[in-house]
Amino acid sequence: MIIEKKIINKTLEIALTGRLDTVTAPDLESELTASIDGIEHLVMDFTKLEYISSAGLRVLLSAQKMMNEQGSMEVCHVNDSIREVFDITGFTDVLTIK
Amino acid sequence: MKHTLTDDKLTLFLAGRIDSANAAETEAEVQQICEAETFTSIVLDMDELEYISSAGLRIVLRLLKAHPGLTVVNVSAEVYEILEMTGFTEMLPVTKAYRKLSVDGCEIIGKGANGTVYRWDRDTILKVYHNPDSLPDIQRERELARKAFVLGVPTAIPYDVVRVGDSYGTVFELLNAEVFAQKLNKEPEWLDECAHRLVDLLKIIHGTVVKPEDMPDQKAVTLGWAKFLKDYLPADQYEKLYALIDAIPEDHHMMHGDYHAKNVMLQNGESLLIDMDTLCQGHPVFEFASIFLAYQGFHEPTPPEFIDFMGLPYAACRELLHRIMKYYFNVEDEAAYNHILDKARVIGYTRLMRRTIRRDPDSEAGKALIAHCAAQLAILLNTVDSLTF
Repeated sequence: MIIEKKIINKTLEIALTGRLDTVTAPDLESELTASIDGIEHLVMDFTKLEYISSAGLRVLLSAQKMMNEQGSMEVCHVNDSIREVFDITGFTDVLTIK
Repeated sequence: MKHTLTDDKLTLFLAGRIDSANAAETEAEVQQICEAETFTSIVLDMDELEYISSAGLRIVLRLLKAHPGLTVVNVSAEVYEILEMTGFTEMLPVTKAYRKLSVDGCEIIGKGANGTVYRWDRDTILKVYHNPDSLPDIQRERELARKAFVLGVPTAIPYDVVRVGDSYGTVFELLNAEVFAQKLNKEPEWLDECAHRLVDLLKIIHGTVVKPEDMPDQKAVTLGWAKFLKDYLPADQYEKLYALIDAIPEDHHMMHGDYHAKNVMLQNGESLLIDMDTLCQGHPVFEFASIFLAYQGFHEPTPPEFIDFMGLPYAACRELLHRIMKYYFNVEDEAAYNHILDKARVIGYTRLMRRTIRRDPDSEAGKALIAHCAAQLAILLNTVDSLTF
């Protein structure tokens, strides 16, 4: 998985390419931990994300919890199969998906 | 057109294609059935419907006007798309059909008492339940797992419920993981880390607050067990037992209900919980009652050297229980440890005694176990004055 990171003012934009699974989820987690201080808006761009596993969903969940404290978070450009995973797991109600 | 009438509910089975060529004929049939039967509710079963055109949808619309409680069930993905695009899914309750999967040629990765687990694709497994009537249980387990997952409890993603021939199954995320008990049997020196990991995960579970309506209340269940023993215990013991359980405060923290080393897996350094059908809510003493039973109580009064069900030597089970208690409660000395464990044992023996009276009251082993539970309860009820900690 490729993680592309962009910080503009207090907005952190993270674009993912590939598979967010048990192997790659820890990478995303450490990228988030390293950059999230002082961030008020987190945008996760899933345009090129192909697959998400439970480990990936847990990272999203903890990012959402952190951002609930310090601002807001949104997940955008989600493909159909990942959207279905969000629906099935109930994450549609927890995340802001655009 | 096929139709059934059960408990005043009329079900009409639509099949094949309904379009302008046969809509009038179909509607006449529907009307004929509705006039001939007496019913209070009406359901359209679309399991065998392949296509419906606007002419067909107008039949549904007129039927909905005449019977505002109309519902539609067993809708295929294709027909659902039509109903969704045309706004029908907002006008009346529409339930999708379960996906139909075939396990021909799929690799079997496990077999249990209730079902068989197949590898479905790179990322998912399919658990097919043997009992065709298990649908409500399957849906219940999936719903519990889903709730726990969204609340942050690490577990596999439960995907959808599917049909496999005459049975039902659930698609789960495939975990590349090892069951704790299995790893521990191979690497006995892993025991201490295993105990720490079990406690860490247990604290995540017990730190999660759930809505009262989302999971069963374990206190109510336990009071039921105690009531069952009314005729089997001396009156004063029964009353004390009931009062002790009744005095446990209401608690809306999650508990697993069957938390042992076979229901936790290790994947890439992360502990994952499985088998979510026993999830419930309540005071942690209820959890420790079931933990006590898994590692010790179930194997009394004469434990074998090796516990087949756990795949571990009995000595390892006891040691694991000991360390779980020690780390969870942060207690060092034997007395403090036993003081807490005794509270859990009261509930454990209550459950075990009831279960044995119901399942195996006549065999020699059954009789011995019932007498053992009664004797232990007699001792414990004499010394334990509260079940909370």
